[in-house]
Amino acid sequence: MKWLKWIGIVLAALLIPPIVTLFILSLRKDAGHLHGSIEIAASPQQLFPWLVEGAKLKQWVGWLVEVRVSDPANRGVGTSCVWVMKDANNGGRPMEIVAKTREYAPPSHLVLQISSEGQFTGDNVYELVDLGNGRTRLEVDSRFHFSNWFVSLMEPVVTPAARKKMIADEVRLKALVESKAEVR
Amino acid sequence: MKPPMLARLLLLTVAGEAEGEFVAGDLHEEFLHLCATRGRPAGNRWYAWQVVRSVVTLLGLRLRSGEAMQLALAALSVAVPLLLLDRLWCFVYSQIPLKDGLDRAPGFLAVNVLYVCICSALCGSAARSFQRAILIAAVTAAAAAFALWPAAGETPAIYVWLVLLTAPASSLLVFTWRRFG
Repeated sequence: MKWLKWIGIVLAALLIPPIVTLFILSLRKDAGHLHGSIEIAASPQQLFPWLVEGAKLKQWVGWLVEVRVSDPANRGVGTSCVWVMKDANNGGRPMEIVAKTREYAPPSHLVLQISSEGQFTGDNVYELVDLGNGRTRLEVDSRFHFSNWFVSLMEPVVTPAARKKMIADEVRLKALVESKAEVR
Repeated sequence: MKPPMLARLLLLTVAGEAEGEFVAGDLHEEFLHLCATRGRPAGNRWYAWQVVRSVVTLLGLRLRSGEAMQLALAALSVAVPLLLLDRLWCFVYSQIPLKDGLDRAPGFLAVNVLYVCICSALCGSAARSFQRAILIAAVTAAAAAFALWPAAGETPAIYVWLVLLTAPASSLLVFTWRRFG
């Protein structure tokens, strides 16, 4: 009985402070908000297709294995496609994300509403700022809302990890686009 | 005259604190008698054989005592949190909207090391003798290694070494602090 009491006390001491901290942090104003900015040595016209074409997306978005588009010729507002991601942390199981185009103004502006049933919904805003001399600043702004209460609680650790991944993706995009722009 | 070292070590390891000294004392008396009457080699053979044939019985006695329970608790209290934390980080990473690989942020690995330290220290604080503290420290290290082995996330070498070293170190440190502090 004494052991059980001590186990209970230890578990409470180990679990309650992190849970309370996570809860307080998950209430902050910019919860689920990601922002990334990168300068790429390519024009917005050269860069924009990398944000919308499935074959190109697969090259720079990590763990994206397939992009299913119902009508490849039509990419305007209201169209949607399915991104199939490989979830290495879930035994490599594929996970489908629906990306719906909400705003489409090539080559400078794109807003995708991305969602996964029962997991999250969010907006990815891509702004391509022409810096002149064949350079573009790509601004990516994302905001996610998680459906599950436990994931919402874990948001303060999920968001920084997502930001790290977003930056890694952007760096990969920069390398790819610049290598292709050099060839031209 | 000393009995064969390896056999005595095996006896003390298997018998534990509760029985070890008594059994070793009885065997030593008989060993001395045999050495005097039949010679040293015969005494050595007899001692080693007695230890080997007692292993199962002594282990059984030890399992029934609270000592085995304490060791099992030490192993569980290090292995279970590490395994659960690995599952938790897998869950966190699988919730990243655009997914990510198995690399873990240093902060997550630091949390693992911290929890291993705390749990090992708690186990060390329960030890009542130096021999028991050594045993608990060894068990925490083995349990940590066991928990790291099936981890889904990447385990950089420095992290593995940190876990394997801090588990027994914090256990022994707390034992020493409680005893001599």
